[in-house]
Amino acid sequence: MGEVEKTFISGLKEELVEEKVIDESQLDPNFAKEIKKYGGKDVMTCLQCGNCTGVCPISLKIDYKTRSIIKYCQFGLRTYTLGTRWVCATCYRCYEHCPADINPAEVMIALRHIAVREGVIPPFIKVAATNLVRYGQSVKPDEEINKIRKELGLGDIHTFSPDFKKVLREISVLIHASKYDKLIGIEDEVMV
Amino acid sequence: MGSPEPLKKDPVTSTPPATGTETTTPRIGVFVCHCGSNIAGVVDCPRVTEVASKMPGVVVARDNKYTCSDLGQDEIVKAIVEAKVDRVVIASCSPRMHEPTFRACIQRAGLNPYVLHMVNIREQCSWVHNQEKQRATEKAIDLVRMGVSKAARLIPLEAREVPVEPKALIVGGGVAGIQAALDLGNMGFKVYLVESKPSIGGVMAQLDKTFPTGDCAICILAPKMVELARHPNVTLLSYSEVEEVKGYIGNYEVKVRRKSRYVHEDKCVGCGVCAEVCPVKVDNEFDMGFGKRKAIYVPFPQAVPLKYTIDKENCLHFKTGKCLLCVKECTNKAIDHKMEDEVLDLKVGTIIVATGFQTYVPMKKGVYKYWEYENVITALELERLLNASGPTGGHLIRPSDQKTPRRVAFIQCVGSRNKKIDRNYCSRVCCMYAIKNAQIIKEHEPGTEIAVYYNDIRAFGKGFEELYHRVREEFGVEFIRGRPAKLSENRETKSIMIRAEETLMSKITEREFDLIVLSVGLLPSEGSKRIGKTLGLSLSSDGFFAEAHPKLRPVDTATDGVFLAGCAQSPKDIPDSVAQAKAAASSAAAIMFSGKVKIEPLTVEVDESLCVGCGLCVEQCPYGAPELIQNEEGRTRARIIEALCHGCGTCAASCPQNAITAKQFTDEQICSELTAALSQNGQAKTAGKKAEEGV
Amino acid sequence: MTSYAYFFGCVIPNRYPGVEYAVRWVCGKEGYDMDVKDVPDFSCCPVPGIFYSTDKETWLLLATRNLVLAQDERREILTVCNGCLTSLMKASEYLKDPKSMGKVNRVLAQVGKKYTGVPKKSEGKRKVFEPVSVRHYIEVMANDIGLEAIAAKAKRPLKNIKVAVHYGCHYLRPTESRTIDDPNNPVLLDKIVEACGATSVDYEDKLDCCGAGGGVRSHVVDLANSLTQDKCRNISDVGADCIVTGCPFCLLQFDNAQKSFSKDGIPVMHVSQFQALSMGIDPISLGFDTHHVSAHSLLRKLRGA
Repeated sequence: MGEVEKTFISGLKEELVEEKVIDESQLDPNFAKEIKKYGGKDVMTCLQCGNCTGVCPISLKIDYKTRSIIKYCQFGLRTYTLGTRWVCATCYRCYEHCPADINPAEVMIALRHIAVREGVIPPFIKVAATNLVRYGQSVKPDEEINKIRKELGLGDIHTFSPDFKKVLREISVLIHASKYDKLIGIEDEVMV
Repeated sequence: MGSPEPLKKDPVTSTPPATGTETTTPRIGVFVCHCGSNIAGVVDCPRVTEVASKMPGVVVARDNKYTCSDLGQDEIVKAIVEAKVDRVVIASCSPRMHEPTFRACIQRAGLNPYVLHMVNIREQCSWVHNQEKQRATEKAIDLVRMGVSKAARLIPLEAREVPVEPKALIVGGGVAGIQAALDLGNMGFKVYLVESKPSIGGVMAQLDKTFPTGDCAICILAPKMVELARHPNVTLLSYSEVEEVKGYIGNYEVKVRRKSRYVHEDKCVGCGVCAEVCPVKVDNEFDMGFGKRKAIYVPFPQAVPLKYTIDKENCLHFKTGKCLLCVKECTNKAIDHKMEDEVLDLKVGTIIVATGFQTYVPMKKGVYKYWEYENVITALELERLLNASGPTGGHLIRPSDQKTPRRVAFIQCVGSRNKKIDRNYCSRVCCMYAIKNAQIIKEHEPGTEIAVYYNDIRAFGKGFEELYHRVREEFGVEFIRGRPAKLSENRETKSIMIRAEETLMSKITEREFDLIVLSVGLLPSEGSKRIGKTLGLSLSSDGFFAEAHPKLRPVDTATDGVFLAGCAQSPKDIPDSVAQAKAAASSAAAIMFSGKVKIEPLTVEVDESLCVGCGLCVEQCPYGAPELIQNEEGRTRARIIEALCHGCGTCAASCPQNAITAKQFTDEQICSELTAALSQNGQAKTAGKKAEEGV
Repeated sequence: MTSYAYFFGCVIPNRYPGVEYAVRWVCGKEGYDMDVKDVPDFSCCPVPGIFYSTDKETWLLLATRNLVLAQDERREILTVCNGCLTSLMKASEYLKDPKSMGKVNRVLAQVGKKYTGVPKKSEGKRKVFEPVSVRHYIEVMANDIGLEAIAAKAKRPLKNIKVAVHYGCHYLRPTESRTIDDPNNPVLLDKIVEACGATSVDYEDKLDCCGAGGGVRSHVVDLANSLTQDKCRNISDVGADCIVTGCPFCLLQFDNAQKSFSKDGIPVMHVSQFQALSMGIDPISLGFDTHHVSAHSLLRKLRGA
């Protein structure tokens, strides 16, 4: 028997493994309900069979176990799930193999919703959202690439077209309407 | 539904319909049950009784703590006699629960059992409205008012008796079918046992040993098979299919197709010379493809009947028109390539369905690589490899190199307890057979490393938990809690690596094994869908046959006179299958011993003067009760075969001519209930509103 | 004939213009001459790893805005990216629920838009709508154009080229809203590659993730690259000449990650580029110079063949 060797990626281990002492105040009895509110299935029906961990590409790499996260969710261990929320690749292999039909990937997504509302917002979220508001796209347009586009005869990226201003305005209106700008702190970008 | 006319009638003054037997005003007795606190804890029973006593036609109203008790029933009988009651309303539980009890009760008081109306104030009132006591009481009163109104219009009915054919048909010749046939045969009933395969024995005949005691399966089964074949009361129809079943309890007419073996059973002595000379060798399905058989064969040495069968698909004569080596060798001239199927007509009184199960077939491109890696086998294949009369003589080998595996892994819950593939149920036997087989391997080859990948071990039967602990502690079988996520084969050694999270250690491990055994779950057998359709049986959500009641009628079906035994009803082990077979046999025998059955008179009748013979009722009826006939005037009319009718009323509701009436559910009776429901203290609730609208 | 609307998303126009060129070329006059049109007002789908992950309400609003544009054009959306596919397809699925649709429409009214679905032929007075159809390039090619047509147009079949195909997770999963291909045994991309004359080689863990999805690339790039490294090891074990994928984000990950662990790397391209090559396009137009891993080795082999 051999345990799967893991490449511990520098800096990540400390972030993922919290202190191991649990005291009762850490347990949130309504956590499972909260997960359901954000579109996760009922984590309480998990059989803890570990199939999700075995098929998870991330679990094979770092100290992260899909099954354990679900277990923490059952316990209501909010803080334990804190650092792990952003390493799920949403590849949905866990969903395909789960005999209890839990869809762990959607649970991870629900956890991200909760994290964002607790103010845990990784920088890349803000960057992408800002790009969307500024350019209508989550990837920032690149001058070099635009040159190549012209060489290929594809024309400017449509972001730069004057007609696209209207689209940008619509995006701003929608993001403001759902209060997303406030949620992730990009109010300055949104012009409504 | 009928015309709205009855609604306009005043329920107080309207007279009961002329039935030819009753012309006087009905005298109704109302009995309200407290059911301990089940009803009385919510509904104010004394108040319901008080209101009921003032309802039209009611001459006596009582409440009682337990109406169904002996004391409660005596009180009803006394009240009926004293107050000369001729219609009875009992407000208590569901009629499914106690209607037979109270019918017998009022019969003791000299009444026709069908002048009883039960009002459900428990399941449909106190249980569902337990937070609203006041309104529940009002509802109970309304329900009783409806009941009283209908009771006034109840018609006495007579149950009809039909004789019972003292013969039984058993479908399926596994251990359950065999046991049921023997029991009924021993009680003196004539039994037909129909088995689709060339031999009886079922899956049990394929197994090596049985858990938890380690008895050899075929050693305990074979004597029963032989006894059955020799039993004077049992006719064994092997290699046969039930084609059609008509009729009703006590009087079923069955068509059985005897598939042609191309060998005359009466002439074949089972000497096997034919098989020796047969040049065609194919995989033996009985050995799960590991052993070989000839194109003329018996599936296994202990087969019953020991009669050879030609497999038409592979026989050289059927393919090329030549060969006939077997015919030359057979001294008894038993072989006949021109033999044809034969159809038998049987008449039986009862039927026992024991069609058994088949094992789950792993997915084509699934995680467990059953179809890709040679050394991944199913548990049933392992049984053949461990079996002393199997293809290897009981010596465990792995398929890729015929060598003894040193490391064996079992994977549990393959095709069971998996919502993703819509197999939600536990197959009940996999944990134990895996544990049992682990023990057998350890006994054969003590040095073998064995690991069982499991989710939960369910060792619930007599002696099961003890076996589990023995295998774990004494035999050193390792139990790993975790569902394997990936299997990959070493291309050279053909050994297989299992990757899984060992959840109790919270570690992802990769271990290598020489042989992987998939503990496959149980599914309803292939032929069961067809037989279920033929017999009109319903299925549970898991695909197995549904019993009439999960607790109180576990061997009955919704069709009277048809019973279930063994894995046809749900996955179960051998002792449970045998127990259920014995239960089914005695249930069937109870009907046949009495020699007659009562047919419920709650059926429908056709008014021939209204019927136009459109045949819609024939199409709609789930029981095949209506038929179209030519009447004396030569016109096509519908007629109801009363013994088949369940009184469901589907035909009555769908008849465009209103020609069909459901007894005790006539339009008039139902409308009177509705009128009562819409009235309060005898006044129409909607009266004021109607006046406003100018209706 | 079905009419489509191009949906290129963000990565292709801004990082891999060669893919955009290839798609337009294959679908255009030079190729299958399909009825496909640009809708200039399309925005980001929006990217599921950011918006679906943090606020489903915002995600659904932005995705529906795009769906409305296709609905008004009466066209099926032709996505060239797994991310766009999963985002828009899921949104179309969500909108089947009248409650969700009503809620979204109340907000969309602020920008003068309304999602109804595409009107189908009416039954009496009642109008019948169908959800906006969201398609993937691979599936449109394999099913609508057909493998035979692809083979017929491959006038320069890419013989002797061993291809490792990478489907990408969101082409296959989750299966609750899609049945494009068998999630355990997908075949369409392999078949397209074979129709182009090349050989699709099987490799270990073929259906595994590239590592980029769900924000992992943006969040912990080393982790994402580590997954890519495993994939590339399995791919080079079977001696593949190139990687072909249907998703530009997987393409980006393979393309960028390889320089972190290998000097040369295995060339990687979008299926449309591969298809265009087999149809005889001048490789210069495929914008391989924007790729980090040089396609030189592959192109040389092609010339030799």
